[in-house]
Amino acid sequence: MRTRIIRTATFLGGLYFFLYFVCPDATIEALGLKEGNEPISNGFIVIGAMAVGLGLFNLVAKHGTQLIFKRQGWPFSLALLLGLSSMLVVTTGQWIQGLRTSREIRAAQVIGEFATRIVDDAQGFAEKGSAGVKSIGVDGKIPSLKIRVGALQQYTETQIARVTNQASDMHHTWSNQTLLAELHQSAGELNFAVSALGTISGETLGAADEQTLKTFSQAAAKFSSLYSLVMRKESGRGLIQRLYDLLYQGVFIQLGSAMFALLGVYIAAAAYRAFRIRTLESALMMTAALIVMLGQIAFGKHLYEGMPALRQWLLEVPNSAAFRAIRLGAGVAGLMLAIRMWLSIESTSSSSRKK
Amino acid sequence: MNGFEHATPGVLVLLVIAAGLLLRELVRVKGGYLHSIRRIPGVDAIEGTVGRCAEQGRPVMFTTALTDLGPVLYACLGVLQTVAKKAAQYKLKLIVPQYSPEAMALVEDSIRAAYNEVGRGSSFDPQSVVFLSSEQFAFASGYMGLMHREKPGAACLFGVFAAEALVLAEAGQQVGARQVAASVSPEQVAFFICTCDYTLIGEELFGASAYLCREPVQVATLAAQDRFKFLLCVIVVVGVVCATIMSIVPGVQIPMPHDLISAGWEALRW
Repeated sequence: MRTRIIRTATFLGGLYFFLYFVCPDATIEALGLKEGNEPISNGFIVIGAMAVGLGLFNLVAKHGTQLIFKRQGWPFSLALLLGLSSMLVVTTGQWIQGLRTSREIRAAQVIGEFATRIVDDAQGFAEKGSAGVKSIGVDGKIPSLKIRVGALQQYTETQIARVTNQASDMHHTWSNQTLLAELHQSAGELNFAVSALGTISGETLGAADEQTLKTFSQAAAKFSSLYSLVMRKESGRGLIQRLYDLLYQGVFIQLGSAMFALLGVYIAAAAYRAFRIRTLESALMMTAALIVMLGQIAFGKHLYEGMPALRQWLLEVPNSAAFRAIRLGAGVAGLMLAIRMWLSIESTSSSSRKK
Repeated sequence: MNGFEHATPGVLVLLVIAAGLLLRELVRVKGGYLHSIRRIPGVDAIEGTVGRCAEQGRPVMFTTALTDLGPVLYACLGVLQTVAKKAAQYKLKLIVPQYSPEAMALVEDSIRAAYNEVGRGSSFDPQSVVFLSSEQFAFASGYMGLMHREKPGAACLFGVFAAEALVLAEAGQQVGARQVAASVSPEQVAFFICTCDYTLIGEELFGASAYLCREPVQVATLAAQDRFKFLLCVIVVVGVVCATIMSIVPGVQIPMPHDLISAGWEALRW
């Protein structure tokens, strides 16, 4: 029964991708396959994420045992587990800090959007009547203009106070004061724009009121973009971010580069072994390599005028032909195996467990 | 493809032919037809390398490197099962470093099945399948470390490889392991030829499992892929002949095979 369920699921999954690949766009839409594509892709991501947990579990189990029983090479396991846990803690801290920063930036960004929305709604009223405007508020109606502008004023004042307090705290630790000074100046401009909002008192938005709100919106946009810049710089200076940079940029990336650099040495060692002329094949390889290397440099052209062309021919004709043959063979073999997997035609050795 | 983002009718026909060939070969093989498989020295060497480990009392290493879930992994598992069976029979330590956590679960299950098949299920150590890292060079450095600590007598490198191929193969070379490599990435084949004792090129990786166990389904797959490849070669030759005729005789227009294959669905609306 279990096998039958697995086989059916495999077949249906394969059928979906087969149809998605084979059918033209119009048919895919008619069959309703297009809407299913995103949830299915998300499903793969979820499975992948769960598998990462599996890898993590394996690492901890293997190296934890090594460490607890002090088996051979336990210091390596200790180093790995320390690296793993510190990276996990720092990355989680960085994620939480990023969320907090984004929330604070967003709180400032909505000021300008709020003002623009008031203007848009008022224009919607003028052009289409109340039906043209989205219903908001508790009872499904848009609150009066006076109430909305009042709320905007109050909210903006709170945000300005919050941001200026934050900026004053940063004042002592920042070496570059220009950006903070600009933020303070922008806060002053926004304060001025807030006080101008007091002139909007009627129930309908006049041309002058609209202009006041637009000026306010511009001041708010400048203020929020400066605040966003300051906050990103500030979060980059934090302890968590510096630890992350140290572990990821300073250690992990550098170690990866060091491993990659080893390739240079290994290529030389492998070339030495391969180019010792002992057989006809290695003689051919050596000759081809010499031509390609000489064709690449000016000295090769000095030796023989046609060397670059010969090199180009070697790369484009025999080399490409061999590459294509290998790719074709592997592609066809992969295709056959994929069909077999789709139809669940298993070999007895692969299905031995269910026996 | 002229507004078409998906397979053309020509590709669909080729896919149907491929599936048809596979089913036909399966029926033939299950009916008792015996296909002969040419000798591949690299595959012959696999069993020998495991035997060498038994003589030296050293472990066996098998890696699928950057291979993710898919046909290549499936092909590698066939060879891994053979190696695992031999390791179980000779009571050898088998080490399988892993890059992909998704593949790891399948690999572990395959090894367990192989141990059970030879009646040594209790000898299977799940910790022989070691997850190293999903980062290419972190995996390579972990593999090098394992290689130098465990000093295996043989190493099998099967699957998809990229720039780390030479790092892995050189590590085995440094500890004197006999190495058999197989890759579907042609760029890495040259490195393996230089560094490993035996190298399987491209599709030989897919044939290795069928060659080792002579199991009917795998042999049928191998036969079907050969026949389909022959068909593709015929299409290539026809294309070459058509192009040659068109270049020799001016004014002659012959429909080229690749035009027929890549023609969109609109071509069916006469």
